[in-house]
Amino acid sequence: MGKYRALVLVVSMIAVMAVAALAVTTISVVVSPDNGPSIQYLAQQFMQQNPDIKVNVTIISWETLYPRLLADLSAKTGIYDAFSMDVMTTGAMQSGCLDLTQYFKDHPDVIPAGYDMNDLLPLAYKLSTWNGDLIGLPYYNNTMLFYYRKDLFNNPTYQQQFYQMFGRPLRVPTTWAEAVDVARFFTQSYNPKSPTRYGIALMFPTTHTMFYMFPLFFGPYRTSTDGIREFGPVDFNYGTYFTSDGKPAFANKYGLMALEDMKALMPYAPDPLGSDYGQTIEYFAQGMTAMCPQWTNPYLQFASSPALQPADQKIGIAPMPGVSVAGNWALAVNKYISPDKQAAAVKFILFCTTKEAGLQVLEKFAIAPVRESILDNPEAQAAIPWVSALPSIYQTEAFRPRIPQEPQLEGITDVTFSKMLSGALPMTIDTLQSLADQWTKVLAGGQ
Amino acid sequence: MSKANRKIAILFILPVIIFYLIMAIYPFASMIYESFTNLNLTIANSGQFIGLSNYFEIFQDPLALSSIDFSAMVIYIGVPIEILLGLVFAYLIRGLKGEKVFRTLFLIPMMIPGIVFGIAAQMIFNYLFGAANYFLSFFGVQPVAWLGQASTAQFVIIFLDVLQWTPFVFLIIYAGLLSVPQDLTDAAKVDGANGWQTFLHVEFPTLRPLLYVALIIRVIDALKIFGKIYMTTWGGPGTATSSWSFYIYKVGVSYGWDIGYASALAVILLIVSTILVNILIRFLNLGEQLGISKES
Repeated sequence: MGKYRALVLVVSMIAVMAVAALAVTTISVVVSPDNGPSIQYLAQQFMQQNPDIKVNVTIISWETLYPRLLADLSAKTGIYDAFSMDVMTTGAMQSGCLDLTQYFKDHPDVIPAGYDMNDLLPLAYKLSTWNGDLIGLPYYNNTMLFYYRKDLFNNPTYQQQFYQMFGRPLRVPTTWAEAVDVARFFTQSYNPKSPTRYGIALMFPTTHTMFYMFPLFFGPYRTSTDGIREFGPVDFNYGTYFTSDGKPAFANKYGLMALEDMKALMPYAPDPLGSDYGQTIEYFAQGMTAMCPQWTNPYLQFASSPALQPADQKIGIAPMPGVSVAGNWALAVNKYISPDKQAAAVKFILFCTTKEAGLQVLEKFAIAPVRESILDNPEAQAAIPWVSALPSIYQTEAFRPRIPQEPQLEGITDVTFSKMLSGALPMTIDTLQSLADQWTKVLAGGQ
Repeated sequence: MSKANRKIAILFILPVIIFYLIMAIYPFASMIYESFTNLNLTIANSGQFIGLSNYFEIFQDPLALSSIDFSAMVIYIGVPIEILLGLVFAYLIRGLKGEKVFRTLFLIPMMIPGIVFGIAAQMIFNYLFGAANYFLSFFGVQPVAWLGQASTAQFVIIFLDVLQWTPFVFLIIYAGLLSVPQDLTDAAKVDGANGWQTFLHVEFPTLRPLLYVALIIRVIDALKIFGKIYMTTWGGPGTATSSWSFYIYKVGVSYGWDIGYASALAVILLIVSTILVNILIRFLNLGEQLGISKES
């Protein structure tokens, strides 16, 4: 009899465990390294509050994440339930993303009390939509900033030397033309008295980096009065590279001037054509350069670098001398997964984009906020110095295309710009026109 | 083998055959079919049959054509250096004190994946913090933008390829040298031949077929060079270090998701490899050298 009791007990326990395991919904979330640590942190909190949902977060490099997601969404395999989405890939990804506008209409209860949609910054919200439908929740309002060595710019000796050399005061450049003089001043091979080896850390490699660096230089021309008159206002889907009616806008004197501005700075940067994101962060963090255009989150690396201590006196942050470029991320849910998983994934991305979560990830991971209330929050402004500068930077940002053909355009553009900057192709409008012709071909549906 | 045993044998190898069909034959057939379509993962409802359009397109694609240059460069600069160095090292190391230790050390680079080579190269050839420029600074040489100039970036990739694959050539030739019959070399010595003459007239002819095998394997492998480029230069600056294989990756995965066009590029690579290897085999008369030709 005792044996039977033990058997019944074991079977019951297994049954209870099986039921408990079945009651837990597991979702697979894949994110880029920019968002990874913050999403992992939020996932832990989410699972504590929602023991019926298990969140597995996988961090994959940008280069790998995008193709994997695209393959998953195209094949409708539903490997990933939720994911971070670079908004410039919206056009290519939208067909596999859950339409959140419709989902929230059908499931109004899923939105937690106190979740304020109207608090989301209009631009961040708009970049997470496609044809008016919300296909992701804005998570990271990334943008490019101009980091500079505050201590060097404020140093009276360098101010005096700069004045003697250029006949004007040393100040943080507001145009790329000004940046050339300042970069020259802080480059030892041109000015032996320079405290830094190079003036500026630039990244012009033959990667997707080139595609977001060019708008920093082209943006001021494209959005100038003349640029708007000639090409019309910037369209959110086509971005700064295009005219308002979807034609390439760079094959002209403005595009050429932007590339010439880039080339003019290159002598004052360490290996600009061979350096990418990681290298330029390292150059500035080690005190090798006086200036560095970079995204928002490297701030934490700069602030913890021994060469830049005390950080509040050495790291200055200013708007880009030209214009900044948007690098927004959204959190999206796979359309091709079960309703249970969709519900769990939507719940998770809602949790990650609450005001409370936004404030935490800003303070701990320098994730630029997507909510107006966080930008206005004194606690947030005190935690990360660039918070108060963001609203004005967002006003003038440049945008990369979000159309489905964006990856192909990027591939051919990076190569052409790299060749032009390295001298392998002539710096002429004809070269740009040849690139524009290739764009037109891609847009028309050819290779 | 009896009929019953044969059936059992077939039953045992059936899972492997099925696995091979699914994992190798089906993707291969699928790739060939897709090369005749406009399948693109970023475009909804793509995948229509377009005949030979992708193949015609390749001959008008400047990026595809420019990637031939670097692939060829790896073959006509990198591979001969690997063969030569492999031969020299194998010859010098034989009979040396500590031969076994050197032999083991020589093989280490071959065991390191190309991706790891790429990561290490990024650090070694970093403009400001890299070991290469640090070393050169002792000789008063200004920092070199190794990865930022076409010629130096090409040098870096070929250097890494030589570093990784010379041990492979060394291994083949070293094994060949050890298998040269002792009586042949003894006879040469008795005839008054010095070390160089013995090598040139006795050992080298014996090694020739192995050298040809090494050459063919390295040519095929050089056509596939990818990992080092992916991790180090991303094909740049411009297209200076973009190989055919890397361009296939860019078109099919990284930038284009243009599966149809990438498949056509891959088919071309397959055809070129096959033709090249056949030419080499015929030109070098490899079948006869190895004693496996139909005529022999």
